[in-house]
Amino acid sequence: MTSPTSPSSVSDDLRVVAPAFTDLRALAAAPVSVATWRGISQTVVGSFVVLVAFIGLAVAVSLSVSLIPLLVGIPMLVATLWAGRPFAQLERARLEAQLAVEIAAPTYPRRDGWWASWWAILSDSRTWGHSAYVLVAGAILTVQSVVVTVAGGFALGGLVYPVIAATNGLSHPPFPLVLMVPGALVCAWVAALASQAGSLAIVRSGRSLLGASARAEALEAARQAQARAAQAEGRAVQLTETRTAAVGAADEERRRIERDLHDGAQQRLVALGVELGAAKRKVSSDPEAAAALDHAHREVKETLAELRDLVRGIHPAVLTDRGLDAALSALAARSPVPVRVDVPDPPALNCASTSAQAAAYFVAAEALTNAAKHAEAQQVTVTATVSPGGRLRLVVADDGRGGATAAPGSGLDGLRSRVAALDGTFDLDSPAGAGTRLTVEVPCAS
Amino acid sequence: MRIVIAEDSVLLLDGLTRLLVAEGHEVVGYTTADEVVAALGPDDDLPDLLVTDVRMPPSHTDEGLRAAVHLRSLHKRLPVLVLSQYVEQRYARELFAGDVRGLGYVLKDRVADVDEFLDALGRVAAGGTVIDPEVVAQILARTRRSGLETLTPRERDVLGLMAEGRSNAAIADRLVVGLPAVEKHVTSILTKLDLPQAADDHRRVLAVLRWLEHEPTIGERP
Repeated sequence: MTSPTSPSSVSDDLRVVAPAFTDLRALAAAPVSVATWRGISQTVVGSFVVLVAFIGLAVAVSLSVSLIPLLVGIPMLVATLWAGRPFAQLERARLEAQLAVEIAAPTYPRRDGWWASWWAILSDSRTWGHSAYVLVAGAILTVQSVVVTVAGGFALGGLVYPVIAATNGLSHPPFPLVLMVPGALVCAWVAALASQAGSLAIVRSGRSLLGASARAEALEAARQAQARAAQAEGRAVQLTETRTAAVGAADEERRRIERDLHDGAQQRLVALGVELGAAKRKVSSDPEAAAALDHAHREVKETLAELRDLVRGIHPAVLTDRGLDAALSALAARSPVPVRVDVPDPPALNCASTSAQAAAYFVAAEALTNAAKHAEAQQVTVTATVSPGGRLRLVVADDGRGGATAAPGSGLDGLRSRVAALDGTFDLDSPAGAGTRLTVEVPCAS
Repeated sequence: MRIVIAEDSVLLLDGLTRLLVAEGHEVVGYTTADEVVAALGPDDDLPDLLVTDVRMPPSHTDEGLRAAVHLRSLHKRLPVLVLSQYVEQRYARELFAGDVRGLGYVLKDRVADVDEFLDALGRVAAGGTVIDPEVVAQILARTRRSGLETLTPRERDVLGLMAEGRSNAAIADRLVVGLPAVEKHVTSILTKLDLPQAADDHRRVLAVLRWLEHEPTIGERP
């Protein structure tokens, strides 16, 4: 019944269920209109359905209320109210089948947890409305069925009697025929109008008590939106926390690898170097053995140098021991391009978390490498400050040829992700021919 | 000599001990900085030399360096050679803040060059100063002092070797030139940089370091 022509709005109800009240032609045709006969069938079926529902409701409510002191009454009351929902569904289907009106089903609030779901049933106005419908519809149907039956009976009798009387040759009618026929016609119209009006009343009360109410729907939608917003907010907080933890864990892992290499491979290689160096002193008499040892010795020393650079790239120990200021100085010292490090207040940098300091350090390291390798810079300035808002700010500016980009997969791109993971900002300003200026800000607390 | 070694890597401690014992030294080894500080705390019975690693338990940061600075403040004449897996100018400045006599700071890798290492050991024990070439390179790279550019490339090399704590003879040896040539370079450098013509190696190192470290260099604060 969801075709475009099916009545679905309140204004359509009058036209579909009670057309006799819309214009004179329909009023004239009322006793023979489809709406009237639909109304009559609705009255018959509805009276039965609602009567059963009324008896069930009355028994269940009185039983549960009387059992509330024993506490069993509470779940029973909840169950009774809940039963209104399938009843409402049945009743909406009945009205749609019998009167061709479509009533939209309400969206019931859903809650997790048994107590919350009970409370959602108890506090839901629509659910109470379903019970109220049983009472209202019961009253309407009682009046409607009485009027339709009585008036319809009179009309049928008044119109059929003269025919029976004439065929059977009865000569003494109880009423004069002159009165009887017009009376029957009036009764026919009364019955038809009662059928239509009663059905309209049923549809109207069904709309407000069985269907979706705009206000309740809006309230529920708002409540759900609020719940979703709260959930999203909680999720955002959780994600921020786990992301910060992940960055911290990654930094901690780098420190651990650095420590392991320092305590393990590096020490072993140094010890090996000492052994080889000592052996070299002893075998000078055999030139071939000396040459082989000398080669091995050189290899060990070169490996040590490479390993040292690698370890420093993983995590510089000076950053852990002496903080960002000292680590930046060490970076500057190793840079082939002259670097000026400007840290107006070195102790202030220590308020930044180790993750924030590590991010700033590696950004500076990458920027200095780029300045020397690609930018052909003559001079680089590294400035590190902490803003009053608690943000660690690092600026690396060179006088090279500019045109640097944080292309995907590049070192700068990886560092941008690292900074972003700390809720920091990354600003690369590198116009061609006018130097490169990289500004990074990271919250100290990150 | 009687040498105390503080080194947490047992493997390396073993290697160094064997090397030094073979050279005729008496060696006592410790694996933590605390043990060394406890052993060398009292004034009597000081060794001829303390060799210490920087990073040691329990915190694995710079215990060795702090122990060295502390012991030097207790015993002004205790020669100390600090070894480190990485050398940084910042640590060097802390270590060389006071008297630089009998003090050395070298990269651990240098130990593998046994002759070089034994030479450094002997120089420190004799009251000399040894600074790792890498630290000197860092200091030279950061110096903003005017005057440095007036030096010839050869003079810069000599200046670097002076800053490492080498004597004229050692410099001559290293650059494969005659002693008189080195003496000429040294005089020229000291004149150009307006430094006193000190014959004493220690005072010369100190003067050169102070000159190089003087403002405005990177990292140094007013």
